[in-house]
Amino acid sequence: MVVAAHPLAVEAGLKILKAGGNAIDAAVATACALNVVEPFASGIGGGGFMIIYLARENKVTVINFRDKAPSAFYPEIFTEKGEEAPVWRTVKGTAVGVPGALAGWDLALRRYGTKRLAEVMQPAIDLAERGFKVSETFSSINKEEYEKILANAGEKTVYLNNGLPYEPGDEFRNPELARTLRLIAQKGIDVFYKGELASKIVRAVQEKEGLMTLEDLASYRAVEVEPLRGQYRGTEIFTIPPPGSGLHLLQLLNIASFWPVSQWGLNSARYLHHLTEAMRLVFADREAYLGDPDYVQVPVEKLLSPDSARLKANLIRSDGVLMEYLPEEIKEHTKAGNTTHLCVIDDRGNAVALTQSINLFFGSGIIPEGTGFILNNQLDDFASTSSGPNAPGPNRRPASSMAPLFLFQEGKLKLILGSPGGTRIFPSLAEIIINIIDFGLSLDEAIEAPRFFSYSQHGRIRPLSLEPRFPEAIIKELEALGHKITIREPYDRYFGGAQGILIDYKRGLILGGADSRRDGFGRGY
Amino acid sequence: MQGKKALSISLIFIFWLFISAQSNLPKFSSPALITSAGQNAEVQMVAVLAKRAGIEHNLNKLATAQDLAGFKSLLLVLGASMKGLGAAGLDLNKEMERVRGLLKGAEEKNIPILCLHLGGEERRGAQSDEFIKACLPAARMVIVVKSGNKDGLFTRLCQEKGIPLIEIERTTEALEPLKNAFAQ
Repeated sequence: MVVAAHPLAVEAGLKILKAGGNAIDAAVATACALNVVEPFASGIGGGGFMIIYLARENKVTVINFRDKAPSAFYPEIFTEKGEEAPVWRTVKGTAVGVPGALAGWDLALRRYGTKRLAEVMQPAIDLAERGFKVSETFSSINKEEYEKILANAGEKTVYLNNGLPYEPGDEFRNPELARTLRLIAQKGIDVFYKGELASKIVRAVQEKEGLMTLEDLASYRAVEVEPLRGQYRGTEIFTIPPPGSGLHLLQLLNIASFWPVSQWGLNSARYLHHLTEAMRLVFADREAYLGDPDYVQVPVEKLLSPDSARLKANLIRSDGVLMEYLPEEIKEHTKAGNTTHLCVIDDRGNAVALTQSINLFFGSGIIPEGTGFILNNQLDDFASTSSGPNAPGPNRRPASSMAPLFLFQEGKLKLILGSPGGTRIFPSLAEIIINIIDFGLSLDEAIEAPRFFSYSQHGRIRPLSLEPRFPEAIIKELEALGHKITIREPYDRYFGGAQGILIDYKRGLILGGADSRRDGFGRGY
Repeated sequence: MQGKKALSISLIFIFWLFISAQSNLPKFSSPALITSAGQNAEVQMVAVLAKRAGIEHNLNKLATAQDLAGFKSLLLVLGASMKGLGAAGLDLNKEMERVRGLLKGAEEKNIPILCLHLGGEERRGAQSDEFIKACLPAARMVIVVKSGNKDGLFTRLCQEKGIPLIEIERTTEALEPLKNAFAQ
C-alpha cells in the first residue's frame, strides 16, 4: 500500500511495488513523482528524512537527507540584514540549502532497495512529460505564492500559465523537469552534485546573492542514523532524531501520558487546554536545545526522561494559561523549518515513512535555468538569532519539525505516520496518535479530526490556532482560560497534510489514511 | 412556486445587470492605484493584468488615503489572507482600519473605485466577507470570479446599490473588462 499527498504519486509507487520492488523502492518512486505532481512542496531541490522498517531483520533505521548550509554560512548572515532579514531567509539565494533529496533517495536504494534509481524515477519522468490536471490545492497554492514565483522565476516559468497562476482543471506539463530527471536517471546523482546540474544550481543561487559553491554540492552526503525510541501507553514509537523533531513529538506524548486524556473526552476544552500548554513548554525546549547534532549537543535523554515529562505535566494549571514558558534547566549541558509526507508498506512487511520538503510552498521560487525544479528555502529554519543551538553556521543542517514515525504494539508494526506542516508537524502527529490510542478513533477519523496548535516564542505565549469545527462553547471555555484564539479554515493546510497506514492484525486489514487538507490519497493491491 | 418566481426575478435582474454592464459601464482613468483589502495574493495578479491592459498603475500593498494623491482610480482587490496579513505585520482590525481610511479618502477626492474579487470560493469566508461588505457599497464597478459569488453575495450587494457586476469564469478573463473600463 502507498499513501501520499497526490493520487498520481501513489500510482507511481504502486507501479514499482507491482513490478516486484520493495517498500524502499516504492517510497523513492513516490517521492520522485511528488516532485512532479506536488512540485510546490518537495523535490530534488530540497531534502528530508525517511524512516525505514526492515521486517526480516526487525530493524528500524533512519536516512537523514536534510539540506545543509553552505560552508561560507555564518551566524550573523540573517541578523545583519536587520528588517530585511525575512527576505534573505526566504527568497534570496541565502535561503537555499544544499539539497539532499537525491543523495537520500540514492543512499536508501543502495542500502535497502532492490531497484536502480533510474528504474524508480521512470514513473515521475513519464508524469512530467505527459502532464496532469491541476487540482484545487495546486491552483490555490500557486495563486498564494504568485508574487514569489513572479519575482524569482519570471512570467515565462513553467510554474505559471502564460504568466498567471494555474486554475483548477488546467493541464500542467513540465518537460524541463522531465529532461532533468532523465539526465539524472542516465548519469546518476553525480550529474546533480558534481556535473552540469550542479553548475546551474550554483549559478542560480549566486545570481540571487547566495553563498553556495560547487564544493558545497560535491561534498553533500546523506547519512544513515539510529532512530529515536519512545513509549506511549504501552506502544513503542520509532521516529527521527535531531535535527528532526521526533524528540519533541515524544516529549508531548510523554507529558500527555500523565493525564487521563480519554476521560477528559475528545475535543474537550480540558484536553485542548492541557495539550496546548504542553506544546508551549515543548517549544521552549525546542528553541533552547534543538540543533544539528553534528555541531551541538542535544540533551535527548534528559528531555525524554519521565522526570522531565512529570515536571512539565505538573507545571500546567487546569485553571488558566501559564503566560511564561521557560525551557527546562539542564545542568552539564554543553552548548556548542511546507513539505510532504508518504507512507509505504510492501507485502513482506517492510515499511517507509518519508517526509521531504523544499520548506515554504514553492520554496525559494528560484529555479536553476532550464531544469524545471524549485530550490528550497530551508535555511529559513535556522533560528532568528546569531547564537544558540540552531544559529546559522557553516555546513549545518537547520532544525526541522519533521517527525515521520512508526508505532509498534505488542512488538508488531501498527502505524506508519507523518505529516508536512512546518512547526505544526509534531504537534499534529501527537494529536493523531492520541486520537487513535486514547480516543479510539480510526486512522481516517484521527487524521480528519479538527486540529489545534500553539507554541511559545522567547518564553512568551502565542495564540491558539483552531479549526472552527470545534464547538463554539469549547472555544469560549478556552478563551476563559486565557488562550487568545485564532480561527483558521475548517480543514486548513496550515495544520499539515498527514498520511498514514494502520495495520489491523485482528481483522487482517491494512488501512490507509490520507488527509483531505491536501490532495491525500492511498491505495493498495 | 414562490421559489420559481423569485428565481425568475433574480435571473432577469442578473440579465439586466449584464446588459447594463455591457452598454453603460462606468469609465475609469489612469493612473490607477492598486491595493488589496485583506492582503490577498490576487492583488499581484491584478497588477500583471493592469500592465497587460496598458493601464498606468502603481501597486502599493499598504496604501493609505495619503497615497491616493495623483491617482485617478482605485483598484481594490478583495479578500483576506491570513498569510498575507501575517507577512505585512497586520491583523484584521488594522487592515480594516487601513481600508476604511482608503475608502474615505477616495470618496473625499472623488476617485472612483473598481473592486475585484479573483480568489473564487476559497477567498470567501467570514474574514473575507467583512472586507467585501465594507468595500462593495463604495464601488463604481465590480468584477468577480464566478465561483466566489456562488451564494449570490456580490449579486445582492451590487443589486442594492445599482452597481454593475461583471462575472468571469477565470482570473485571466478579468483582462477584457479591465481594458474596457480604462478605454478612452
